[in-house]
Amino acid sequence: MEIIKTEDLTKRFGSALAADRISIHVNLGEIYGFLGLNGAGKTTVIRLLLAMIKPESGTISLFGKPLSPQFRNWNDIGYLVETPYSYPNLSVYENLKVIYRLRGLDQPDAIDTIIEELKLTKYKHKKAGTLSLGNRQRLGLAKALMHRPRLLILDEPINGLDPEGIVEVRELLTSLAASGSTIFLSSHILGEISRLAHRVAIIHEGRLIKELTRAELSEQISRKIIVQTTDNQAAVQHLLRADYPAALAGPETIEVTGQEAQDRPELISKLLAEHGLPPRQIFLTTEDLEMYFLRTINESKP
Amino acid sequence: MKPFIRVIGAEFLKIRHSGFFWATFIAFGLAPVIGAVFILIIRDGDALAQAGALATKARAMNFEPTWKSYVGMLTQAVGVGGVMVFGFVASWVFGREYSDGTAKDLLSLPASRTTILNAKFILYAIWSVLLVLSNLLLGLLLGAVLQLPATDGASLTSPLADYLITTVLTILAGVPIAFFALWGKGYLTPLGFVALTLVFSQIVAAAGFGAYFPWAIPGLYSSVGGDYKLQLTVYSYAVLLLTSLAGYVATLQYWNRADQT
Repeated sequence: MEIIKTEDLTKRFGSALAADRISIHVNLGEIYGFLGLNGAGKTTVIRLLLAMIKPESGTISLFGKPLSPQFRNWNDIGYLVETPYSYPNLSVYENLKVIYRLRGLDQPDAIDTIIEELKLTKYKHKKAGTLSLGNRQRLGLAKALMHRPRLLILDEPINGLDPEGIVEVRELLTSLAASGSTIFLSSHILGEISRLAHRVAIIHEGRLIKELTRAELSEQISRKIIVQTTDNQAAVQHLLRADYPAALAGPETIEVTGQEAQDRPELISKLLAEHGLPPRQIFLTTEDLEMYFLRTINESKP
Repeated sequence: MKPFIRVIGAEFLKIRHSGFFWATFIAFGLAPVIGAVFILIIRDGDALAQAGALATKARAMNFEPTWKSYVGMLTQAVGVGGVMVFGFVASWVFGREYSDGTAKDLLSLPASRTTILNAKFILYAIWSVLLVLSNLLLGLLLGAVLQLPATDGASLTSPLADYLITTVLTILAGVPIAFFALWGKGYLTPLGFVALTLVFSQIVAAAGFGAYFPWAIPGLYSSVGGDYKLQLTVYSYAVLLLTSLAGYVATLQYWNRADQT
């Protein structure tokens, strides 16, 4: 079942095209990562999904129902958009009580449960205005999660969290997805998305430039063998003669690509040693996600 | 009805521990205190001679140390000071969501945006009514302490009715401020609007058209500086009502239709 479905979603702010014919489909129980640089259009799409702004054209449906003024499933959705803010004069508990009332909830232990789950018990009666950035983020997540939504729409949810908080939120989101919740997650932190998301979409300048599964993402990340010898020029010639795609990547480094090199780097060592150039260093390097991301964006440029 | 009551409950919860809530009572409570000072000055000839500006003001208002005059002065405080203080209340109730960054938490909820705004309008009205009631209670207390001459209930009926009607007119005049708070996304625009209404009330009233300027009407009804209530016609009340209604509709339309970025 498709929980989120958008078709050719387009939004302009003046002359700026913030979302350009975005079509995404997110399935039940899926964690869908939405990647993009700052200003790429992630928050615009999230605001469109939450009916905070109206599209110029295109359609949105959530839970199979069109997103219109008649849409009534808001208690099936929890959200966090950009930096979470709370009423500074109210305590953590009171802030959650405000949302509890606005959502018309009828689960008396919901507030205490979520406070405990997000490790906010110590701050329960502290005013929100005095909380650290990380705890404000936890409070924002508590507001989004308190009513156990079927769909979570989270914009940069780990911003400001310390490493322990990141692990907790990751585990929480993974367990929510395992219990059937669908999670739409935006971030510019690629490592986080790649750990969590089942599928990843990359947005750049308002356009969806790539959509792929975690396995496809892993496949598309390039890997290279890096070699250093006492005479790199000569070593490259020997490697090319043996049909290895090799090139100098600087005065000190040779890059060797190709599946065979990755699968059996010891053959490269043997070959170079036979020609009197035993490697001083040889290792496999994997392109990091940031590099992949920038490469993808550059490849998408017309 | 129950969901609406819950939303109103949420709005009331938001003012808990708020310093601004109590500050409005202190600011508005200055009126009965100043009235009590006037009573003391007028009763004491020597003090009257020494009081300078305060005595001049008390004389200009034809102030007398009686219950009727005292309640009349409180009414004027609602008609003029209320436009400002109620304006501050409306600016805070509607503008704080943007200043606190919490507006986005109100947009995608089972409670409709109209319901949330209606709850805010109710909070604004109740807060304003509490302000005028607290002033009345403080005035009654101070009047009793100062032993104002006893009067029969019938002679206070008309001043008290004026007090309540001025309250309603002032609350109505503050409704359009909600639109400016949402449109300006914070406190500054509505506060600027309140300042403008006060300035223009003076100018327009001096030009002789105050009876048709919505924000001057509560002041005229409260008869600041004379019996100006007689200037008001049915059209005056219609102008105020229509302005209030237009402000309400504009607020709902804007909140429901504008992009919330």
